Amino acid sequence: MIVSALFLVTASLYAIACVLYFIYTLRGEESLGSRAPAALFLAILSHVAFLVGDYAVAGHIPTTNIQQTLAVASLLIAIGYLVAMRKHKLAALGAFITPLTLLFLLGAGFGSNIAQVPAGVRSIILPLHVGVNILGIVAFALAFAVSIAYLLQERLLLTKRLGGVFQRLPPLHELDSLGFRLVTIGFPLLTIGIVSGAFFAARIDEAGSTFSMSHLTAYLAWIFFAAVLVLRIAAGWRGRRAAIGTMLGFFCAILVLVGYALRGMSGAA
Amino acid sequence: MKGELFVVGLSHRTAPLAIRERLAVSGEKLAEDLSALSKTSTMDEALLISTCNRVEVYASASDIAAASREVRNYLNGKIAPDAIDGHLYERVGTDAVKHAFRVASSLDSMILGEPQILGQVKTAYATAHAAGTLGTLLSRCFHRAFAVAKRVRTETGVAAGTVSVSSIACELAKKIFGDLHGRRVLLLGAGKMSETAARHLRKQGAQLYIVNRSPERAEELARVYGGIAKRMEDLAHELTLADVAITSTSSPDFVITRELMQSVQKARRHRLMLLVDIAVPRDVDPRVGTISNVILYDIDDLEKVSGENLAERLREASVAEQIVEGEVREFEEWRRSLVLTPTIVALRETFQQVVRDELARTTSRLSLREEDKRALERMGEAIVTKLLHQPLQELKRGAEDSDGAEMIAAVRKLFDLETSTSAQAVSNAEAAPAAASPQKKPT
Repeated sequence: MIVSALFLVTASLYAIACVLYFIYTLRGEESLGSRAPAALFLAILSHVAFLVGDYAVAGHIPTTNIQQTLAVASLLIAIGYLVAMRKHKLAALGAFITPLTLLFLLGAGFGSNIAQVPAGVRSIILPLHVGVNILGIVAFALAFAVSIAYLLQERLLLTKRLGGVFQRLPPLHELDSLGFRLVTIGFPLLTIGIVSGAFFAARIDEAGSTFSMSHLTAYLAWIFFAAVLVLRIAAGWRGRRAAIGTMLGFFCAILVLVGYALRGMSGAA
Repeated sequence: MKGELFVVGLSHRTAPLAIRERLAVSGEKLAEDLSALSKTSTMDEALLISTCNRVEVYASASDIAAASREVRNYLNGKIAPDAIDGHLYERVGTDAVKHAFRVASSLDSMILGEPQILGQVKTAYATAHAAGTLGTLLSRCFHRAFAVAKRVRTETGVAAGTVSVSSIACELAKKIFGDLHGRRVLLLGAGKMSETAARHLRKQGAQLYIVNRSPERAEELARVYGGIAKRMEDLAHELTLADVAITSTSSPDFVITRELMQSVQKARRHRLMLLVDIAVPRDVDPRVGTISNVILYDIDDLEKVSGENLAERLREASVAEQIVEGEVREFEEWRRSLVLTPTIVALRETFQQVVRDELARTTSRLSLREEDKRALERMGEAIVTKLLHQPLQELKRGAEDSDGAEMIAAVRKLFDLETSTSAQAVSNAEAAPAAASPQKKPT
């Protein structure tokens, strides 16, 4: 009961932070939007409390099903952003990141305590598999937000509209290199995640399951991110192309998660 | 000093470019036209300003209607009789002075606060000075105009707004690359614009590379701003290495073509590049802007961008207008004092002459001691001083407001002062216009 109340509070706080970040991006420092980081901080506190509560109820580290994974990833995205913001001037990026944290969290609340990992699959590799995948998805989510900001910023520059929004978003070049750095971090994590996932898939196959859409989209995501990295180095694909590649990769990674969530639900049904 | 100032002309506000460019004169033609104009008997003084945005004749004359007709004929003569009458404006007296001040301060410019106009007005002044067509009124008027322009530039943010196009280019580079420290900036063309751009960019810590048609000029700019001069043949190579390029050559054709930039961008591995083209006509093919990761801004784009803080500059402009108003008032005071001083001198001289004449006539018939004679002379002077005290006070007070001119004219008429003495005083004032500060009330 308390846990689901905390969930609602957290989600509301993320929603408020999201709205405030949008106001900030559109209106600037003088507006209500300057309260956005504070709202986000409160949301994070509430989020931590929610996870602790969830842990207390479940009695185990809450990463054994996809919903819990999403909830943790959502928290890490928010924390990762707040930490990064202290170093760079990224306030306007909040408008692209907070919707993601909110969506992840809502995904987590989408039917709880279902889709437990089949008992036969549990092994010491499981925490590794889940851990790297969470960190990977966090890096890609941030890269995705940065890429959206890049495309918007480039659009404003090319159409010569250098108003407030342009002024508040980070410099184009910084967005490009930040996105690249995040993909560079996420890619090895994704690789490990896929390899360890293949290992489980083999075990599940033995247990009677079949090759699923999730595997396909995971490989697609890997291919997109690999292309972003390799083409940047080999053919100088940066800027818009890199941003679009990053977004496609993240989209595939999300499909993997959605696939798992759906399968978990049908498994529970 | 019966002449009055006036200006007849047209500008970007009243006439399209097609007409302005047919009227524009420069260099030797300017001096020729000016002396032809001033030879007409109607004008005492004349000054001709001709830029791509305005053609104006400033003059002083006693018969303004006749002189103005003369100027209109001259301007129309360049196209067809009466062709441009509809585009011409005319300002007389205080309004003409105000107009001159506003033009020199760039308050009447197409781009508010742009710095070039002052140089152009100074050239016009120098040309008129060399041609000998300037007198007291015009030289004073334009000396003050230069001072007003300086005040407007230093005391208001009007000029700061435009600091021009080159600083906007610099801001843009910062918003694209973040820190400009160590960024490689290529200046193509070493004109005035490049110089301001160089100064701004250098301040931000950028490395400057300068390519120019004349290598000497590139070397010079490189020396002054701590950059490195490169040869024109190295252009493609320099473009490959640069993060930002600012072009301002006077070439009539594109210097950076689409083909050149495509191969350059390939060699750069599509690294982000900002190209700012501040040349007219343009140096960079506009299609270059469609190449990936190339951001191209031309002068129109920059002006459009600068327009976004137009409100701020308009506010500053109203401060500038107040400066102009104040200076116009001071000029008018000076203008009246110019007539007042000789009037006072002449009035006093006339009265004293009467006393002297009468004393001489009387004392020659009486046998008086030297002492008594001097006492009588002193008495005569005292009478003059006392009689004139009130009228002179009134005249001086009158010089501070606009009714003064009428009062002075009345006094001159009443006492028939239009004599050689006043002409003398005027030519004195003319000899040292700077000394006759408008703040100093003549006594």
